[in-house]
Amino acid sequence: MTDKVLAAPSDLSPFAEDAPRLSDALTRRINADPESVERGLAQLVLTVVELLRQLMERQALRRIDGGSLSDDQVERLGRTFMELDRRMEELREQFGLTAEDLNLDLGPLGRLL
Amino acid sequence: MIDVLAITDAGVTVDPPVVAVPSDGVSVLCTPSNGDGVDADALWRHEELLEGLMKLRPLLPVRYGTRVPDEAAAAAAVAGRGAELMARLDHVRGAVEVSVRVRTAAPAPPTTAEHSGVEYLRARTAASRAGEGVHEVLEPLARDCRLLGGAEPLRAAYLVEHDDVDAFAARVRELQGEHPELAILCTGPWPPYSFSEAAS
Repeated sequence: MTDKVLAAPSDLSPFAEDAPRLSDALTRRINADPESVERGLAQLVLTVVELLRQLMERQALRRIDGGSLSDDQVERLGRTFMELDRRMEELREQFGLTAEDLNLDLGPLGRLL
Repeated sequence: MIDVLAITDAGVTVDPPVVAVPSDGVSVLCTPSNGDGVDADALWRHEELLEGLMKLRPLLPVRYGTRVPDEAAAAAAVAGRGAELMARLDHVRGAVEVSVRVRTAAPAPPTTAEHSGVEYLRARTAASRAGEGVHEVLEPLARDCRLLGGAEPLRAAYLVEHDDVDAFAARVRELQGEHPELAILCTGPWPPYSFSEAAS
């Protein structure tokens, strides 16, 4: 596998969470036990929440760039998104999901996020 | 049952166990399904098979796990799409896919400072712009590209001329040197998985 790496940072830890994800995803794909079904449902719900969070954050960044928000409003927005981000991370951990899991492959339309 | 591997030019010859099923001006490459479980090793075997086939001819990889009852069903699956698939084959001819992912080198430490909200948004904006900056440098080096989205600052697939892969990778290494705050991972060459379909 390493011969497929054309260029990599000296520290690969930012990508380390992907290693267990593959085998985990493959296992879940073929095991329809109640626990994995529950996790699959949580994954779907959290993906939709993550989609909304990203859309709102992008909109907020655009408004900040446009200068239409006061410093107080920017601070409140930032704290809100930071808190949302933290809560999403907690929920992902609770269901054993990584950030990469919160996505949907829409086939020819590409990926949702 | 047979596994459908890829679409390629009409009239190609392949070695067993791969068979080339002609249909509508293209060939559908298939193998007998061995019923293996899906695990990382099976994925790598599939990858090696595709890479071997890719050395001699352009390929449009079919989604992994695509299984049909027989060769007639494989031919029927592409019937009516010959012209479109030939155009896609011409698009990837002589090129390979190179994947690039950008993450921030270390996660930002949690902050409780008075202006933490502003700092958070600033960091998000900086990461997003860094990803865009890397893409702007790499895009002109590729024949085509696909932004694959996700939470990372950049996750993209580039369709790079086979002979230009080394130069592309060298440019990524330069970018890594210029941006120690980022972790840039570049892998390949891959079959053109992200370019089998027309851009949406």
